[in-house]
Amino acid sequence: MQPLEHSNSNLLKAREPDYKAYIPANSLRRMSRMLKIGLTAALKCLQDSGMGAPGAIVTGTGKGSLQDTERFLKDIRQYNERALNPTPFIQSTYNAVNGMIAVQQQCTTYNNTFVHRGFSFEHALLDSMLLLQEGTPHTLTGAFDEMTEEHCFIKSRIGLWKTEKVNSAQLYDHPSPGTIAGEGAVFFALSADAAAQSYARIAGLQLFYKPQPGFPAAALSAFLQQHGLTPQDIDLVLTGRNADSNYAHFYQQLDAVFPGTCQLPFKHLCGEYETAGAFAAWLGAHILKAQQVPQQWFPMVQAFPRRMERILLYNHFFGEQHVLMLLERAGACGG
Amino acid sequence: MAERVFITGMGMITAIGDTVAANLHSLRQQQSGLGYTRYLDTIYREVLPVAEVKHSDEALKEMAGVHGLPQYTRTTLLGLIAMQEALQQAGINDPQQEPTGFINASTVGGMCDTERVYFDLIDPAKDGTFLQYIDTLDCADSTQRIADRMGLTGYITTISTACSSSANAIMYGARLVKQGLLRRVVCGGTEALTGFTLNGFNSLKNIDRQPCRPFDQQRNGLNLGEGAAYLMLESETLARENGSTILAELSGYCNSNEAFHPTAPSPEGDGAFTAMQQALAMSGRSIADVQYVNVHGTATLNNDVSEGKALQRLFGRQVPPFSSTKPFTGHALAAAGAIEAIYSILAIRQGIVFPNLNFSEQMEELEIVPETRLLEQQPVCTVISNSFGFGGNNASLVISKYEG
Repeated sequence: MQPLEHSNSNLLKAREPDYKAYIPANSLRRMSRMLKIGLTAALKCLQDSGMGAPGAIVTGTGKGSLQDTERFLKDIRQYNERALNPTPFIQSTYNAVNGMIAVQQQCTTYNNTFVHRGFSFEHALLDSMLLLQEGTPHTLTGAFDEMTEEHCFIKSRIGLWKTEKVNSAQLYDHPSPGTIAGEGAVFFALSADAAAQSYARIAGLQLFYKPQPGFPAAALSAFLQQHGLTPQDIDLVLTGRNADSNYAHFYQQLDAVFPGTCQLPFKHLCGEYETAGAFAAWLGAHILKAQQVPQQWFPMVQAFPRRMERILLYNHFFGEQHVLMLLERAGACGG
Repeated sequence: MAERVFITGMGMITAIGDTVAANLHSLRQQQSGLGYTRYLDTIYREVLPVAEVKHSDEALKEMAGVHGLPQYTRTTLLGLIAMQEALQQAGINDPQQEPTGFINASTVGGMCDTERVYFDLIDPAKDGTFLQYIDTLDCADSTQRIADRMGLTGYITTISTACSSSANAIMYGARLVKQGLLRRVVCGGTEALTGFTLNGFNSLKNIDRQPCRPFDQQRNGLNLGEGAAYLMLESETLARENGSTILAELSGYCNSNEAFHPTAPSPEGDGAFTAMQQALAMSGRSIADVQYVNVHGTATLNNDVSEGKALQRLFGRQVPPFSSTKPFTGHALAAAGAIEAIYSILAIRQGIVFPNLNFSEQMEELEIVPETRLLEQQPVCTVISNSFGFGGNNASLVISKYEG
């Protein structure tokens, strides 16, 4: 496991790999950053899973290829609508990453892209779970988002980010309005049955759109009950806490429902973005498989559980789209 | 046995009408909505025909009942107007009585408004009310504003698969109903004309300077359009419980991918063929049952060859009457699938086949020609509606007459 990295820029950039290992050089030249990040994450996932061509490709993205959108807007202005290069327009299309994965994998089956802020990844996941129910053998399900300096500035104008620069490793020591920005891409291979190399089981998923005041205490209890669980059955809570004092009250309710349960925050690792929930699901799945928390990433946490059967994830995107997800150790409940 | 899914309400606004009834009237009158833009700021104002909704943003605000409220983009306004009609026609006064989902579709969100202020947004020296448009940059904005205004609280999300977006929204909604996650969901899409998309398609050399000519040898591209359309889907159980008026059944659907090229279909129409064939198989109908195909028919060089070949492969010598209604509405991108799904329902309920306007010369690659006449008093029981998009995203819907 890598050591904890930190940044003082209020924008956590994705660490980009050497793409040449995944994408031929002549393709790479034409691809914008989001397409490279998205396609590479998808290919790494497929390699890891060994599933071959996926039975479906379903993704979520809040902003798609932002750099292409920005570039085409500027090209239109700069060249006064004449003789424009169509590439940024094509790549700005929200389903461009999906289309590229399909071509690369020669995958002619179901293909869908959700573009709804903090529900983008979660609806991709729900769609995939419906597909598995309907008999699709496996799905490639993921999320991708990028953040640019320009867009970061735009969103700063409506107060999304902290005005003071904070060290990301000490994010939670700085409660104030706004949070820090992030980006990333995560892909999962999903199947209806557990295999030897499975990471985890998605045992529950519930979405709440602009919930009533008092959320989520009662919803958390109801969610557990619906799965025949009590708070004591949850070994670890992954919390989307991001030191944004505007919305901290939601996450604070976890303390009363789960007194004494270890809570792991993750936004100091990935920053805040529409599909940060996918990063959390990735982290939870790794922890369940390894039966170990990468402790060096969580200097703010005092004690870690020794064994982990179940992880509950609670995340929301600026108070509007809220998500509860239950992850279980693969095979823990008969797959 | 999964629930059957019925369509119990619909609403729309396009360049040929502000309601479903007005659209039907224009279709019957063979009245195209194509012309030059009044509202778009572009050097192509008098060069590239578009199918624009014939109202200013101010007038749309009045129609949507949000006059004086800021932050409603044209995308949202078109959507609100169509949504109000869909709920009304479905007889739903209070959507909260039964959790109602909303699956929307959008290609560029509020770009119609944000492209006008974008360079102010990125200029630290500029300040003003335009900052209120920051939230409208993404695709979720219009969905949430419509949901909030109408009180839709079930599953709320937005799909973007280019030109097949709203067909996929309908499909996803139907699957949520079939698997029992919802009993009622309203699905469709909304699209406003933007300089961004107009220049995008123009840079691809995909826009005809004349009214588009689907399936014609001389066709030379598409015309963009705008509009919104929503369909209320209900489970059979709920429709019976509530005594809902059942307009038609969504009996089959398929989403498939070409895996061929970012913007072009495969020459033999593999994706289109698979989408139609599998949707039809799911519906339990045979090729002989299909009396009309509302084709994607954008009039681009590639689409019509590929879609035409797929029709020939699927139906052999018995290709049913087919037409593209894009010469009426333009290509309304994310709204197109839902607009054409409603036209398919109208074809069934009214017993009509719509004419493919602007056709005169058969394509050399094909043995078939589209229906150019308005056919009335036709027994139309099963219709296939096609939507094919960038990224190889193909979607076909099968809509059937409700037989009880």
